[in-house]
Amino acid sequence: MSMIELRSVSKDYPGRRAVDAVSLRIETGERVILFGPSGCGKSTILALIAGLLIPDAGEILIDGRLVATAKRNLVEPSARGVGMVFQDLALWPHMSVAENIEFGLRAKRVPKSERDRRIREMASLVGLGDYLTAKPGELSGGQQQRVALARTLAVEPRILLMDEPMSNLDDALGEQLRGEILRLQNELSFTLVYVTHNKEEAAALGTRTIRLRQGRVETDTGVV
Amino acid sequence: MITGKRVTLAAAALALAGIGLLPVLTMIARSFFVDGRLGMEAYAALFASSQRLLPWFGNSLLLASLISFSATIIGAPLGVLLARTDLPWRGVFAVLFALPFFVPPYVIAAAWFSALDQSGSIGRLLPEGASEFLSSTFFGLSGCVVSLTTSFTPIVMLLTMAYISAVNPRLEQAGLLASRWPNVLWRITLPLIAPAIVFASVLVFLLTLGEVGVPTFLRYPVYPTEVLTQFAAFYDFSAATAAALPLLLVAAMVLTLEKSLQRTSSATIGASMTNAPNGAIALGRWRLPLLWVVSLWMFATVITPFAALLGQAASLDALAQAFARGGDSILRSVVFASVGATFLTLSGFFCGYLIHHKALAIWRSVDALTLFLFTLPGTVVGVGLISLWNHPSTNVIYATPAIVILGFLAQYALIPTRMTAAVLQRIPPSLENAAELAGAGWFTILGEIVAPIAKRGLIATWTICYIFCVRDLGIAMVVYPPGSDTLTVRIMTLMANGAPSLIAALCLILIIVTLAPLLAAVFWRAASRPFT
Repeated sequence: MSMIELRSVSKDYPGRRAVDAVSLRIETGERVILFGPSGCGKSTILALIAGLLIPDAGEILIDGRLVATAKRNLVEPSARGVGMVFQDLALWPHMSVAENIEFGLRAKRVPKSERDRRIREMASLVGLGDYLTAKPGELSGGQQQRVALARTLAVEPRILLMDEPMSNLDDALGEQLRGEILRLQNELSFTLVYVTHNKEEAAALGTRTIRLRQGRVETDTGVV
Repeated sequence: MITGKRVTLAAAALALAGIGLLPVLTMIARSFFVDGRLGMEAYAALFASSQRLLPWFGNSLLLASLISFSATIIGAPLGVLLARTDLPWRGVFAVLFALPFFVPPYVIAAAWFSALDQSGSIGRLLPEGASEFLSSTFFGLSGCVVSLTTSFTPIVMLLTMAYISAVNPRLEQAGLLASRWPNVLWRITLPLIAPAIVFASVLVFLLTLGEVGVPTFLRYPVYPTEVLTQFAAFYDFSAATAAALPLLLVAAMVLTLEKSLQRTSSATIGASMTNAPNGAIALGRWRLPLLWVVSLWMFATVITPFAALLGQAASLDALAQAFARGGDSILRSVVFASVGATFLTLSGFFCGYLIHHKALAIWRSVDALTLFLFTLPGTVVGVGLISLWNHPSTNVIYATPAIVILGFLAQYALIPTRMTAAVLQRIPPSLENAAELAGAGWFTILGEIVAPIAKRGLIATWTICYIFCVRDLGIAMVVYPPGSDTLTVRIMTLMANGAPSLIAALCLILIIVTLAPLLAAVFWRAASRPFT
């Protein structure tokens, strides 16, 4: 059973087809790179997997469970076991680092003592133990990136979706964070789906690369 | 989609339709009933009196066209100048020029009267013949044009400022590589913001069309006065509703025309909007002359009338008398406006959310309905509310201030809805998405993510709603229950035979009461700013 399965999934935006009958299977623990030029449908596929968009055609399965079908989301985004790091990071600016990490734990009704433990654990995992009371605006770009990662991983998702999270970072910082992502994936064993149009990033992070063009799968290194 | 979200948003839309649209539909339906039976007598009577009414209707259209034109040709360049150039003290000018919009138009008329009257600050300085001529000319169309242009120019100015500040700077920068600022402004920027200017112009037209206070005060016969007279003087309800219908039709026609005009350009302006800051246009050698022109214009149109009003009101005697004659209505105005603003902010938040996120298929209808209700004359909304709620079983609304609040909710729903949508525009959707993925329910997301981030915007929304409610005359004058008149209604009533100093003092109090939350917010912001 695949961790993620897309069966002939399509998604239309006004005037254009963003995703065109895409079928693919992603296995547990894989690090899949969705690669391709702007507008090829990479981010749309991530949003469809997360449940933030509803497919116009096709089916989406997560861990063998049908989560979305044409025009219907059968499983809410929060119940899919999916975490996502957004391109703009989407850190809540009015909350501290700790509160950002805590939010998802609180929504899942994790007891306070356990929440505190997880916050400390996640913060130290990404090297931000000393910044728990800081607001996102007080942090550097790299630190914000780590907060986004810690916040997403705190709720222990089985699948981590990352939508060009390093597009605003310089090369050195990007390389450092790529190392951290690999380390975290090794430790926590989540399935990673990573969107980028940077070849270097794709080569460094992925165990498999899916190249998209005009909403279709052009090549897939995982398929022989 | 989460069910609670759909239900809540649908309920908000339904409430808006119930509060705003249902009274209008009831009013139309009831206009076909006379003495409890179906008939066209009200319309026959309206048609029979068309000889008397047509000139009034013509006056209304003439006045609306003149104000729309003058407010646009003054407000649009002023907006460009204050938003995009390096003119000194632009912020101060913008606040002062906007001031007249925040007080009821008839207060502006009273302020101008205080200045131009023979005993007024300007009238006194002129030779007797000239001052007499000026004073008498002021009553009628010319006074209405001066007062309403002062009142409504800020609408065009503020909308121009808002839109021009949001134009994608890249588009102008690309133009600047090939041409100079005046050409770029004329060929690129202005066409991009033209829909906003047209919209502002239409808004001014419709607001003027429904205006009652200024024409009544300056004795210029206009059509909305007929609706009010039929209702207030003769209590002929069928005639009042029949008389209201042409205004309703004109509002619907003008809005439809404006929508079709904008359809072609909306995609362009939508695609060009961004939050990136734009560079200021250097005025160069024109900076000083333009500073003089703007300063003189401000002195002539804002400082002069307000200073005259202040001069006439500023005596302890007049103020004491004003509090004695209007104290209870001041309190009522503040309470009604506060309650109205609170409900408006709440309902507008949900309607704005619905429109911004296009969360239900009816989002366009909700948007159109708020705009339609806003442009309807207050007297028409008021007559509609009465036709729906004037029933023994609904006395708890009809005979209490609740009907005034409902009127505010119907007429001003556009303001919090548009303001909320604008505030939400600045919150990246990923912030909500991230919370949703984290497992938070919609109400948690609203309470813990959206509301705290939008807090300042929501406070501003409440403040603007309060200002509109407290300055309202059209609705309050028609629907206020006995013994519950607001300050605007009390002033209007006293204007017929009250002493000018008393009227001026009451107007001054109204201005203070209207602007109080705005001033409080400004002082609070200044006080809470850290010293660096």
